[in-house]
Amino acid sequence: MQPETTPRPTVPTSPELDDAAAELAGLDALDTPTVKRTPSWRRFVATGLPPIVAFLLFVGVWQLIWAAAIQPEFKVPSPSSVWDSFAGVLTDGQVLSILWTSISRAFVGFLMALVIAVPLGLLVARVRVVRAAIGPLLSGLQSLPSVAWVPAAVLWFGLTDSTIYFVVLAGSIPSIANGLVSGIDQIPPIFPRVGKVIGASGLATARHILLPAALPGFLAGCKQGWAFSWRSLMAAEIIAAGPLLGLGLGAFLKQGSDLNDMPTVIAAIFLILIVGIGIELLVFRPIERRVLRVRGLAAGV
Amino acid sequence: MTTTTGTETTTADVSDVPGTAAVRLTGIGKTFGSGTDAVTALQNVDLAVGQGEFVCLLGASGCGKSTLLNLVAGLDEPTAGTLTRPAGSPSFMFQESALLPWLTAGRNVELPLQLSGLSRSARRERAAELLSLVRLDGLADKRPHELSGGMRQRVALARALAAATGPDGSGGGVLLMDEPFAALDAITRDALQGELLRVWRATGTTIVFVTHDVREAVRLAQRVVLLSSRPGTVVGEWTVGDDRDHLHDEITVRLRQVIASHAA
Repeated sequence: MQPETTPRPTVPTSPELDDAAAELAGLDALDTPTVKRTPSWRRFVATGLPPIVAFLLFVGVWQLIWAAAIQPEFKVPSPSSVWDSFAGVLTDGQVLSILWTSISRAFVGFLMALVIAVPLGLLVARVRVVRAAIGPLLSGLQSLPSVAWVPAAVLWFGLTDSTIYFVVLAGSIPSIANGLVSGIDQIPPIFPRVGKVIGASGLATARHILLPAALPGFLAGCKQGWAFSWRSLMAAEIIAAGPLLGLGLGAFLKQGSDLNDMPTVIAAIFLILIVGIGIELLVFRPIERRVLRVRGLAAGV
Repeated sequence: MTTTTGTETTTADVSDVPGTAAVRLTGIGKTFGSGTDAVTALQNVDLAVGQGEFVCLLGASGCGKSTLLNLVAGLDEPTAGTLTRPAGSPSFMFQESALLPWLTAGRNVELPLQLSGLSRSARRERAAELLSLVRLDGLADKRPHELSGGMRQRVALARALAAATGPDGSGGGVLLMDEPFAALDAITRDALQGELLRVWRATGTTIVFVTHDVREAVRLAQRVVLLSSRPGTVVGEWTVGDDRDHLHDEITVRLRQVIASHAA
Protein backbone atom coordinates (compact mmCIF):
# COMPACT_ATOMS: atom_id res chain seq x y z
CA MET A 1 0.00 0.00 0.00
CA GLN A 2 1.79 3.11 -1.20
CA PRO A 3 0.20 6.33 -0.07
CA GLU A 4 0.58 9.19 -2.49
CA THR A 5 -1.84 11.69 -1.07
CA THR A 6 -0.82 11.95 2.57
CA PRO A 7 2.21 14.14 3.20
CA ARG A 8 4.52 13.06 5.98
CA PRO A 9 6.52 15.88 7.48
CA THR A 10 8.29 13.72 10.05
CA VAL A 11 11.87 12.91 9.22
CA PRO A 12 12.40 9.14 9.19
CA THR A 13 15.26 8.00 11.34
CA SER A 14 15.56 4.48 9.99
CA PRO A 15 14.18 2.51 7.06
CA GLU A 16 12.10 0.44 9.45
CA LEU A 17 10.55 3.53 11.01
CA ASP A 18 9.94 4.94 7.57
CA ASP A 19 8.05 1.77 6.62
CA ALA A 20 5.93 1.95 9.74
CA ALA A 21 5.12 5.59 9.10
CA ALA A 22 4.23 4.87 5.49
CA GLU A 23 2.04 1.93 6.46
CA LEU A 24 0.24 4.02 9.04
CA ALA A 25 -0.23 6.86 6.58
CA GLY A 26 -1.63 4.37 4.09
CA LEU A 27 -4.04 2.99 6.66
CA ASP A 28 -5.14 6.52 7.54
CA ALA A 29 -5.73 7.36 3.91
CA LEU A 30 -7.76 4.17 3.38
CA ASP A 31 -9.79 4.33 6.56
CA THR A 32 -10.64 8.02 6.79
CA PRO A 33 -14.38 8.39 6.37
CA THR A 34 -15.22 10.20 3.17
CA VAL A 35 -17.69 13.03 3.47
CA LYS A 36 -20.01 13.30 0.51
CA ARG A 37 -21.32 16.78 -0.18
CA THR A 38 -24.40 17.16 -2.31
CA PRO A 39 -24.59 20.32 -4.44
CA SER A 40 -27.03 22.93 -3.16
CA TRP A 41 -29.39 22.74 -6.16
CA ARG A 42 -29.81 18.99 -5.62
CA ARG A 43 -30.49 19.57 -1.95
CA PHE A 44 -33.13 22.08 -2.99
CA VAL A 45 -34.73 19.64 -5.42
CA ALA A 46 -34.69 16.95 -2.72
CA THR A 47 -35.96 18.98 0.24
CA GLY A 48 -37.31 22.33 -0.97
CA LEU A 49 -39.35 21.28 -3.97
CA PRO A 50 -41.69 18.63 -2.47
CA PRO A 51 -43.28 20.99 0.09
CA ILE A 52 -43.82 23.66 -2.59
CA VAL A 53 -45.49 21.13 -4.90
CA ALA A 54 -47.58 19.83 -2.00
CA PHE A 55 -48.70 23.38 -1.17
CA LEU A 56 -49.66 24.12 -4.79
CA LEU A 57 -51.64 20.87 -4.93
CA PHE A 58 -53.41 21.83 -1.70
CA VAL A 59 -54.39 25.22 -3.12
CA GLY A 60 -55.57 23.50 -6.32
CA VAL A 61 -57.82 21.09 -4.42
CA TRP A 62 -59.12 23.97 -2.32
CA GLN A 63 -59.95 25.92 -5.50
CA LEU A 64 -61.80 22.87 -6.88
CA ILE A 65 -63.85 22.43 -3.71
CA TRP A 66 -64.71 26.11 -3.70
CA ALA A 67 -65.66 26.01 -7.41
CA ALA A 68 -67.89 22.98 -6.80
CA ALA A 69 -69.80 25.16 -4.31
CA ILE A 70 -70.48 22.27 -1.93
CA GLN A 71 -70.33 24.64 1.02
CA PRO A 72 -71.51 28.25 1.24
CA GLU A 73 -68.97 30.99 0.65
CA PHE A 74 -68.75 32.02 4.33
CA LYS A 75 -67.56 28.53 5.22
CA VAL A 76 -65.21 27.85 2.31
CA PRO A 77 -63.95 31.10 0.78
CA SER A 78 -61.99 31.06 -2.43
CA PRO A 79 -58.19 31.01 -2.27
CA SER A 80 -58.11 34.38 -4.00
CA SER A 81 -60.34 36.07 -1.42
CA VAL A 82 -58.12 34.71 1.36
CA TRP A 83 -55.11 36.01 -0.54
CA ASP A 84 -56.81 39.43 -0.85
CA SER A 85 -57.43 39.57 2.88
CA PHE A 86 -53.87 38.34 3.49
CA ALA A 87 -52.42 40.92 1.13
CA GLY A 88 -54.70 43.54 2.73
CA VAL A 89 -53.14 43.14 6.20
CA LEU A 90 -49.73 42.86 4.62
CA THR A 91 -50.01 46.12 2.70
CA ASP A 92 -51.79 48.39 5.16
CA GLY A 93 -49.00 47.90 7.69
CA GLN A 94 -51.34 46.43 10.28
CA VAL A 95 -49.56 43.10 9.96
CA LEU A 96 -46.37 44.50 11.46
CA SER A 97 -47.99 45.59 14.69
CA ILE A 98 -49.99 42.36 14.92
CA LEU A 99 -46.92 40.20 14.35
CA TRP A 100 -44.79 42.31 16.68
CA THR A 101 -47.34 42.05 19.48
CA SER A 102 -47.49 38.27 19.25
CA ILE A 103 -43.87 37.44 18.42
CA SER A 104 -42.47 39.74 21.11
CA ARG A 105 -44.82 38.15 23.65
CA ALA A 106 -43.81 34.66 22.56
CA PHE A 107 -40.11 35.52 22.73
CA VAL A 108 -40.24 37.27 26.08
CA GLY A 109 -42.31 34.34 27.37
CA PHE A 110 -39.84 31.86 25.90
CA LEU A 111 -36.85 33.64 27.44
CA MET A 112 -38.54 33.77 30.85
CA ALA A 113 -39.31 30.09 30.48
CA LEU A 114 -35.63 29.40 29.69
CA VAL A 115 -34.50 31.27 32.79
CA ILE A 116 -36.86 29.24 34.97
CA ALA A 117 -36.61 25.90 33.18
CA VAL A 118 -32.80 25.54 33.02
CA PRO A 119 -32.15 25.57 36.79
CA LEU A 120 -35.29 23.49 37.27
CA GLY A 121 -34.11 20.92 34.72
CA LEU A 122 -30.62 20.80 36.27
CA LEU A 123 -32.13 20.22 39.70
CA VAL A 124 -34.42 17.45 38.48
CA ALA A 125 -31.62 15.80 36.52
CA ARG A 126 -28.95 15.90 39.21
CA VAL A 127 -30.77 15.83 42.57
CA ARG A 128 -32.41 12.51 43.27
CA VAL A 129 -34.98 13.77 45.76
CA VAL A 130 -36.11 16.56 43.47
CA ARG A 131 -36.45 14.11 40.60
CA ALA A 132 -38.53 11.74 42.70
CA ALA A 133 -40.68 14.61 43.92
CA ILE A 134 -41.46 16.58 40.78
CA GLY A 135 -40.04 14.56 37.88
CA PRO A 136 -43.30 12.73 37.08
CA LEU A 137 -45.29 15.94 37.52
CA LEU A 138 -43.01 17.77 35.12
CA SER A 139 -43.40 15.18 32.38
CA GLY A 140 -47.12 14.92 33.13
CA LEU A 141 -47.55 18.67 32.70
CA GLN A 142 -46.26 18.30 29.15
CA SER A 143 -49.44 16.50 28.18
CA LEU A 144 -51.68 19.05 29.88
CA PRO A 145 -52.92 21.42 27.16
CA SER A 146 -51.88 24.86 28.34
CA VAL A 147 -55.21 26.26 27.14
CA ALA A 148 -56.61 24.60 30.26
CA TRP A 149 -54.77 27.27 32.29
CA VAL A 150 -56.50 30.16 30.52
CA PRO A 151 -59.70 30.30 32.60
CA ALA A 152 -57.74 30.08 35.84
CA ALA A 153 -55.27 32.70 34.69
CA VAL A 154 -58.09 35.06 33.70
CA LEU A 155 -59.58 34.72 37.18
CA TRP A 156 -56.19 35.33 38.80
CA PHE A 157 -54.79 38.11 36.66
CA GLY A 158 -57.77 39.47 34.72
CA LEU A 159 -57.47 40.30 31.05
CA THR A 160 -53.88 41.55 31.26
CA ASP A 161 -50.50 40.63 29.85
CA SER A 162 -49.84 38.63 33.03
CA THR A 163 -52.52 36.15 31.97
CA ILE A 164 -50.87 35.74 28.58
CA TYR A 165 -47.40 35.24 30.06
CA PHE A 166 -48.64 32.84 32.68
CA VAL A 167 -50.19 30.60 30.04
CA VAL A 168 -47.08 30.78 27.85
CA LEU A 169 -44.83 29.85 30.78
CA ALA A 170 -47.11 27.01 31.86
CA GLY A 171 -46.89 25.67 28.31
CA SER A 172 -43.17 25.93 27.64
CA ILE A 173 -41.39 25.41 30.97
CA PRO A 174 -42.14 21.66 31.21
CA SER A 175 -40.89 21.06 27.64
CA ILE A 176 -37.62 22.91 28.10
CA ALA A 177 -36.93 21.41 31.53
CA ASN A 178 -37.75 17.91 30.31
CA GLY A 179 -35.51 18.41 27.28
CA LEU A 180 -32.62 19.33 29.53
CA VAL A 181 -33.31 16.37 31.84
CA SER A 182 -33.37 13.86 29.00
CA GLY A 183 -30.33 15.54 27.45
CA ILE A 184 -28.41 14.97 30.67
CA ASP A 185 -29.82 11.47 31.14
CA GLN A 186 -28.66 10.48 27.68
CA ILE A 187 -25.04 11.51 28.18
CA PRO A 188 -23.02 8.34 27.53
CA PRO A 189 -21.47 7.33 30.89
CA ILE A 190 -18.03 7.27 29.27
CA PHE A 191 -17.94 11.10 29.06
CA PRO A 192 -18.11 11.80 32.81
CA ARG A 193 -15.43 9.10 33.27
CA VAL A 194 -13.26 10.79 30.64
CA GLY A 195 -13.75 14.06 32.48
CA LYS A 196 -12.57 12.44 35.68
CA VAL A 197 -9.44 10.85 34.21
CA ILE A 198 -8.35 14.03 32.46
CA GLY A 199 -8.65 15.96 35.70
CA ALA A 200 -12.05 17.68 35.60
CA SER A 201 -14.13 18.00 38.74
CA GLY A 202 -17.11 19.93 40.00
CA LEU A 203 -17.85 23.01 37.92
CA ALA A 204 -15.20 22.14 35.33
CA THR A 205 -17.02 18.85 34.69
CA ALA A 206 -20.31 20.69 34.19
CA ARG A 207 -18.79 23.29 31.89
CA HIS A 208 -16.49 21.11 29.79
CA ILE A 209 -18.29 17.76 29.84
CA LEU A 210 -21.91 17.67 31.03
CA LEU A 211 -23.37 20.79 29.42
CA PRO A 212 -21.82 20.31 25.97
CA ALA A 213 -22.75 16.62 26.04
CA ALA A 214 -26.36 17.46 26.93
CA LEU A 215 -26.64 20.20 24.31
CA PRO A 216 -28.43 18.23 21.53
CA GLY A 217 -31.18 17.05 23.90
CA PHE A 218 -31.45 20.51 25.41
CA LEU A 219 -31.83 22.09 21.97
CA ALA A 220 -34.58 19.63 21.08
CA GLY A 221 -36.29 20.63 24.32
CA CYS A 222 -35.93 24.33 23.46
CA LYS A 223 -37.41 23.74 20.02
CA GLN A 224 -40.38 21.99 21.53
CA GLY A 225 -40.57 24.66 24.23
CA TRP A 226 -40.80 27.34 21.54
CA ALA A 227 -43.58 25.43 19.75
CA PHE A 228 -45.47 25.09 23.03
CA SER A 229 -44.94 28.72 23.91
CA TRP A 230 -46.27 29.82 20.50
CA ARG A 231 -49.25 27.48 20.73
CA SER A 232 -50.11 28.56 24.27
CA LEU A 233 -49.82 32.18 23.27
CA MET A 234 -52.30 31.75 20.44
CA ALA A 235 -54.74 29.91 22.71
CA ALA A 236 -54.45 32.66 25.31
CA GLU A 237 -54.86 35.45 22.76
CA ILE A 238 -57.94 33.84 21.23
CA ILE A 239 -59.68 33.21 24.51
CA ALA A 240 -58.54 36.18 26.54
CA ALA A 241 -59.20 39.11 24.23
CA GLY A 242 -59.75 42.48 25.82
CA PRO A 243 -59.08 46.19 25.49
CA LEU A 244 -56.07 46.03 27.82
CA LEU A 245 -54.37 43.55 25.51
CA GLY A 246 -52.83 44.72 22.27
CA LEU A 247 -54.08 43.18 19.04
CA GLY A 248 -52.02 40.05 18.49
CA LEU A 249 -52.44 37.32 15.92
CA GLY A 250 -54.85 35.35 18.09
CA ALA A 251 -57.03 38.39 18.75
CA PHE A 252 -56.91 39.19 15.03
CA LEU A 253 -58.22 35.70 14.29
CA LYS A 254 -60.93 36.07 16.94
CA GLN A 255 -61.95 39.38 15.41
CA GLY A 256 -62.35 37.78 11.99
CA SER A 257 -64.41 35.00 13.49
CA ASP A 258 -66.64 37.46 15.39
CA LEU A 259 -67.31 39.33 12.15
CA ASN A 260 -68.02 36.11 10.23
CA ASP A 261 -65.09 37.08 8.01
CA MET A 262 -63.81 33.68 6.92
CA PRO A 263 -61.01 34.99 4.62
CA THR A 264 -59.52 36.91 7.59
CA VAL A 265 -59.77 33.83 9.80
CA ILE A 266 -57.93 31.68 7.28
CA ALA A 267 -55.38 34.42 6.60
CA ALA A 268 -54.75 34.61 10.37
CA ILE A 269 -54.34 30.86 10.61
CA PHE A 270 -51.80 30.99 7.79
CA LEU A 271 -49.92 33.80 9.52
CA ILE A 272 -49.77 31.82 12.77
CA LEU A 273 -48.47 28.81 10.87
CA ILE A 274 -45.93 30.88 8.93
CA VAL A 275 -44.52 32.46 12.09
CA GLY A 276 -44.30 29.08 13.84
CA ILE A 277 -42.54 27.43 10.91
CA GLY A 278 -40.46 30.55 10.17
CA ILE A 279 -38.95 30.79 13.66
CA GLU A 280 -38.22 27.09 13.65
CA LEU A 281 -36.52 27.28 10.23
CA LEU A 282 -34.68 30.57 10.78
CA VAL A 283 -33.66 30.23 14.42
CA PHE A 284 -33.73 26.68 15.72
CA ARG A 285 -32.94 24.65 12.61
CA PRO A 286 -29.60 26.39 11.85
CA ILE A 287 -28.42 26.11 15.46
CA GLU A 288 -29.44 22.49 15.75
CA ARG A 289 -27.91 21.64 12.41
CA ARG A 290 -24.62 23.22 13.34
CA VAL A 291 -24.49 21.42 16.68
CA LEU A 292 -25.28 18.07 15.08
CA ARG A 293 -22.97 18.49 12.10
CA VAL A 294 -20.02 19.37 14.28
CA ARG A 295 -20.56 16.09 16.11
CA GLY A 296 -21.03 14.08 12.96
CA LEU A 297 -24.57 13.20 13.98
CA ALA A 298 -26.30 14.42 10.85
CA ALA A 299 -23.77 14.15 8.04
CA GLY A 300 -24.77 15.81 4.82
CA VAL A 301 -27.94 17.52 6.02
CA MET B 1 2.96 -16.06 43.87
CA THR B 2 3.20 -18.75 41.27
CA THR B 3 6.56 -19.88 40.07
CA THR B 4 6.90 -20.46 36.37
CA THR B 5 9.50 -22.40 34.52
CA GLY B 6 11.34 -21.75 31.29
CA THR B 7 14.57 -20.16 30.33
CA GLU B 8 13.36 -16.63 29.79
CA THR B 9 10.90 -16.46 32.63
CA THR B 10 11.58 -15.40 36.15
CA THR B 11 9.46 -15.33 39.18
CA ALA B 12 8.82 -11.68 39.66
CA ASP B 13 8.30 -10.46 43.14
CA VAL B 14 7.12 -7.16 44.45
CA SER B 15 10.54 -6.66 45.94
CA ASP B 16 12.15 -7.13 42.51
CA VAL B 17 11.02 -3.70 41.52
CA PRO B 18 13.30 -1.03 42.92
CA GLY B 19 12.04 1.58 45.32
CA THR B 20 11.05 3.83 42.45
CA ALA B 21 7.89 1.86 41.72
CA ALA B 22 5.40 4.09 39.93
CA VAL B 23 2.48 2.03 41.15
CA ARG B 24 2.48 -0.40 44.07
CA LEU B 25 -0.43 -2.58 45.15
CA THR B 26 -0.15 -4.59 48.35
CA GLY B 27 -2.84 -7.06 49.34
CA ILE B 28 -5.43 -5.22 47.32
CA GLY B 29 -8.99 -6.55 47.51
CA LYS B 30 -12.22 -5.23 46.08
CA THR B 31 -15.66 -6.47 47.02
CA PHE B 32 -18.81 -5.09 45.48
CA GLY B 33 -21.97 -5.12 47.60
CA SER B 34 -22.25 -6.67 51.00
CA GLY B 35 -23.76 -9.65 52.79
CA THR B 36 -24.84 -12.61 50.67
CA ASP B 37 -24.91 -10.52 47.48
CA ALA B 38 -21.28 -9.53 47.84
CA VAL B 39 -19.10 -10.20 44.82
CA THR B 40 -15.38 -10.30 45.30
CA ALA B 41 -13.74 -8.97 42.16
CA LEU B 42 -10.17 -8.83 43.42
CA GLN B 43 -8.46 -10.66 46.25
CA ASN B 44 -5.03 -10.13 47.69
CA VAL B 45 -3.43 -8.65 44.62
CA ASP B 46 0.25 -7.77 44.94
CA LEU B 47 1.75 -5.90 42.08
CA ALA B 48 4.43 -3.31 41.59
CA VAL B 49 5.12 -1.47 38.39
CA GLY B 50 8.45 0.26 38.02
CA GLN B 51 9.01 3.73 36.68
CA GLY B 52 8.92 3.58 32.88
CA GLU B 53 7.95 -0.09 32.82
CA PHE B 54 5.47 -1.60 30.36
CA VAL B 55 3.31 -4.23 32.11
CA CYS B 56 0.48 -6.21 30.55
CA LEU B 57 -2.30 -7.58 32.73
CA LEU B 58 -3.71 -10.68 31.08
CA GLY B 59 -6.79 -12.64 31.98
CA ALA B 60 -10.07 -14.14 30.87
CA SER B 61 -13.44 -12.50 31.45
CA GLY B 62 -14.27 -11.76 35.05
CA CYS B 63 -10.68 -11.53 36.23
CA GLY B 64 -11.23 -8.01 37.46
CA LYS B 65 -8.75 -6.44 35.03
CA SER B 66 -10.89 -3.38 34.54
CA THR B 67 -11.67 -3.16 38.25
CA LEU B 68 -7.95 -3.20 38.94
CA LEU B 69 -7.31 -0.38 36.46
CA ASN B 70 -10.16 1.66 37.93
CA LEU B 71 -8.57 1.30 41.36
CA VAL B 72 -5.18 2.42 40.11
CA ALA B 73 -6.81 5.32 38.24
CA GLY B 74 -8.59 6.42 41.39
CA LEU B 75 -12.01 5.97 39.79
CA ASP B 76 -12.84 3.51 42.56
CA GLU B 77 -11.54 2.70 46.03
CA PRO B 78 -10.20 -0.70 47.17
CA THR B 79 -11.91 -2.46 50.09
CA ALA B 80 -8.65 -3.99 51.33
CA GLY B 81 -4.92 -3.45 51.04
CA THR B 82 -2.84 -0.42 50.27
CA LEU B 83 -2.29 1.28 46.97
CA THR B 84 0.49 3.72 46.19
CA ARG B 85 0.43 5.76 43.03
CA PRO B 86 2.20 8.92 42.01
CA ALA B 87 0.81 12.31 42.82
CA GLY B 88 -1.73 13.45 40.30
CA SER B 89 -4.07 10.99 38.73
CA PRO B 90 -2.78 8.50 36.19
CA SER B 91 -4.34 8.87 32.78
CA PHE B 92 -6.62 6.36 31.19
CA MET B 93 -7.29 5.05 27.73
CA PHE B 94 -10.48 3.14 27.05
CA GLN B 95 -11.52 0.52 24.53
CA GLU B 96 -13.41 3.22 22.63
CA SER B 97 -11.55 6.41 21.91
CA ALA B 98 -14.10 8.39 23.99
CA LEU B 99 -13.11 11.63 22.30
CA LEU B 100 -15.47 14.49 23.05
CA PRO B 101 -17.38 14.83 19.75
CA TRP B 102 -18.00 18.55 20.11
CA LEU B 103 -14.27 19.36 20.19
CA THR B 104 -11.69 19.10 17.43
CA ALA B 105 -8.88 16.57 17.72
CA GLY B 106 -6.54 19.34 18.87
CA ARG B 107 -8.97 20.67 21.49
CA ASN B 108 -9.48 17.14 22.80
CA VAL B 109 -5.74 16.88 23.42
CA GLU B 110 -5.67 20.39 24.88
CA LEU B 111 -8.47 19.87 27.39
CA PRO B 112 -6.45 18.01 30.07
CA LEU B 113 -3.73 20.67 29.71
CA GLN B 114 -6.33 23.41 30.06
CA LEU B 115 -7.73 21.74 33.17
CA SER B 116 -4.26 21.63 34.68
CA GLY B 117 -4.04 25.39 34.17
CA LEU B 118 -1.70 25.68 31.20
CA SER B 119 -1.85 28.91 29.19
CA ARG B 120 -3.57 28.90 25.83
CA SER B 121 -0.45 29.21 23.69
CA ALA B 122 1.51 26.67 25.74
CA ARG B 123 -1.19 24.07 25.58
CA ARG B 124 -1.71 24.60 21.87
CA GLU B 125 1.99 24.05 21.29
CA ARG B 126 2.08 20.97 23.52
CA ALA B 127 -1.02 19.50 21.82
CA ALA B 128 0.57 19.97 18.40
CA GLU B 129 3.70 18.22 19.69
CA LEU B 130 1.69 15.27 20.99
CA LEU B 131 -0.35 14.96 17.80
CA SER B 132 2.89 14.97 15.88
CA LEU B 133 4.20 12.24 18.18
CA VAL B 134 1.30 9.98 17.20
CA ARG B 135 1.81 10.96 13.55
CA LEU B 136 -1.28 13.10 13.19
CA ASP B 137 0.48 16.33 12.18
CA GLY B 138 -1.85 18.93 10.75
CA LEU B 139 -5.04 17.11 11.73
CA ALA B 140 -5.72 19.17 14.85
CA ASP B 141 -8.74 20.85 13.27
CA LYS B 142 -10.48 17.60 12.33
CA ARG B 143 -13.53 16.52 14.28
CA PRO B 144 -13.51 12.99 15.74
CA HIS B 145 -16.14 11.75 13.29
CA GLU B 146 -13.93 12.80 10.39
CA LEU B 147 -11.18 10.42 11.54
CA SER B 148 -10.84 6.65 11.20
CA GLY B 149 -11.02 4.37 14.22
CA GLY B 150 -7.24 4.01 14.34
CA MET B 151 -6.69 7.75 14.08
CA ARG B 152 -9.24 8.42 16.82
CA GLN B 153 -7.46 5.95 19.08
CA ARG B 154 -4.18 7.80 18.41
CA VAL B 155 -5.81 11.11 19.30
CA ALA B 156 -6.98 9.40 22.50
CA LEU B 157 -3.39 8.27 23.09
CA ALA B 158 -2.17 11.84 22.62
CA ARG B 159 -4.83 13.07 25.04
CA ALA B 160 -3.88 10.41 27.58
CA LEU B 161 -0.22 11.41 27.24
CA ALA B 162 -1.20 15.05 27.75
CA ALA B 163 -2.93 14.04 30.98
CA ALA B 164 -0.15 11.67 32.09
CA THR B 165 2.90 13.79 31.51
CA GLY B 166 3.46 17.06 33.26
CA PRO B 167 2.48 20.35 31.62
CA ASP B 168 6.03 20.79 30.38
CA GLY B 169 6.17 17.25 29.05
CA SER B 170 8.56 16.14 31.78
CA GLY B 171 7.95 13.24 34.13
CA GLY B 172 6.98 9.94 32.61
CA GLY B 173 3.56 9.70 34.18
CA VAL B 174 1.43 6.56 34.34
CA LEU B 175 -0.75 5.50 31.45
CA LEU B 176 -3.48 2.93 32.09
CA MET B 177 -4.88 1.23 29.03
CA ASP B 178 -8.03 -0.88 29.12
CA GLU B 179 -7.98 -3.06 25.97
CA PRO B 180 -7.45 0.06 23.85
CA PHE B 181 -7.09 -1.79 20.55
CA ALA B 182 -9.75 -4.48 21.05
CA ALA B 183 -12.32 -2.71 18.89
CA LEU B 184 -9.98 -2.16 15.93
CA ASP B 185 -9.52 -4.35 12.87
CA ALA B 186 -6.49 -6.68 12.87
CA ILE B 187 -4.36 -4.62 10.45
CA THR B 188 -4.92 -1.36 12.32
CA ARG B 189 -4.39 -3.09 15.65
CA ASP B 190 -1.05 -4.42 14.47
CA ALA B 191 0.05 -0.98 13.27
CA LEU B 192 -1.06 0.71 16.50
CA GLN B 193 0.77 -1.81 18.66
CA GLY B 194 3.95 -0.80 16.84
CA GLU B 195 3.06 2.86 17.32
CA LEU B 196 2.42 2.41 21.02
CA LEU B 197 5.84 0.79 21.49
CA ARG B 198 7.50 3.65 19.59
CA VAL B 199 5.65 6.27 21.66
CA TRP B 200 6.45 4.44 24.89
CA ARG B 201 10.17 4.38 24.04
CA ALA B 202 10.05 8.04 23.06
CA THR B 203 8.29 9.26 26.20
CA GLY B 204 9.40 6.92 28.98
CA THR B 205 5.83 6.65 30.21
CA THR B 206 4.90 3.88 32.64
CA ILE B 207 2.22 1.74 30.99
CA VAL B 208 -0.21 -0.73 32.52
CA PHE B 209 -1.99 -2.40 29.65
CA VAL B 210 -4.97 -4.71 30.10
CA THR B 211 -5.70 -7.28 27.42
CA HIS B 212 -7.19 -10.74 26.89
CA ASP B 213 -4.94 -11.38 23.91
CA VAL B 214 -1.80 -13.35 24.79
CA ARG B 215 -0.06 -12.41 21.53
CA GLU B 216 -0.67 -8.72 22.15
CA ALA B 217 0.61 -9.01 25.72
CA VAL B 218 3.78 -10.81 24.67
CA ARG B 219 4.46 -8.41 21.83
CA LEU B 220 4.05 -5.24 23.88
CA ALA B 221 5.05 -5.89 27.46
CA GLN B 222 8.31 -6.16 29.31
CA ARG B 223 6.42 -8.13 31.91
CA VAL B 224 3.16 -10.09 31.61
CA VAL B 225 0.99 -10.63 34.69
CA LEU B 226 -1.67 -13.35 34.52
CA LEU B 227 -4.80 -12.92 36.62
CA SER B 228 -7.24 -15.65 37.60
CA SER B 229 -10.96 -15.02 37.56
CA ARG B 230 -13.61 -14.56 40.25
CA PRO B 231 -11.96 -13.38 42.34
CA GLY B 232 -9.08 -11.95 40.39
CA THR B 233 -5.65 -12.53 41.79
CA VAL B 234 -2.16 -12.79 40.36
CA VAL B 235 -1.39 -16.39 39.33
CA GLY B 236 1.69 -15.89 37.19
CA GLU B 237 4.27 -13.40 36.03
CA TRP B 238 6.69 -13.60 33.14
CA THR B 239 9.45 -11.29 32.07
CA VAL B 240 9.41 -11.11 28.31
CA GLY B 241 12.69 -12.11 26.73
CA ASP B 242 13.71 -12.78 23.15
CA ASP B 243 11.88 -16.06 22.52
CA ARG B 244 8.40 -14.59 22.34
CA ASP B 245 6.83 -17.55 20.52
CA HIS B 246 7.82 -19.94 23.25
CA LEU B 247 6.58 -17.56 25.93
CA HIS B 248 3.31 -17.10 24.05
CA ASP B 249 2.72 -20.86 24.07
CA GLU B 250 3.67 -21.17 27.70
CA ILE B 251 1.36 -18.37 28.81
CA THR B 252 -1.46 -19.75 26.66
CA VAL B 253 -1.16 -23.16 28.35
CA ARG B 254 -1.26 -21.54 31.78
CA LEU B 255 -4.21 -19.34 30.81
CA ARG B 256 -6.12 -22.43 29.64
CA GLN B 257 -5.45 -24.15 32.94
CA VAL B 258 -6.74 -21.12 34.81
CA ILE B 259 -9.87 -20.98 32.68
CA ALA B 260 -10.46 -24.75 32.93
CA SER B 261 -10.26 -24.56 36.71
CA HIS B 262 -13.47 -22.53 36.63
CA ALA B 263 -15.50 -25.36 35.05
CA ALA B 264 -17.73 -26.49 37.88
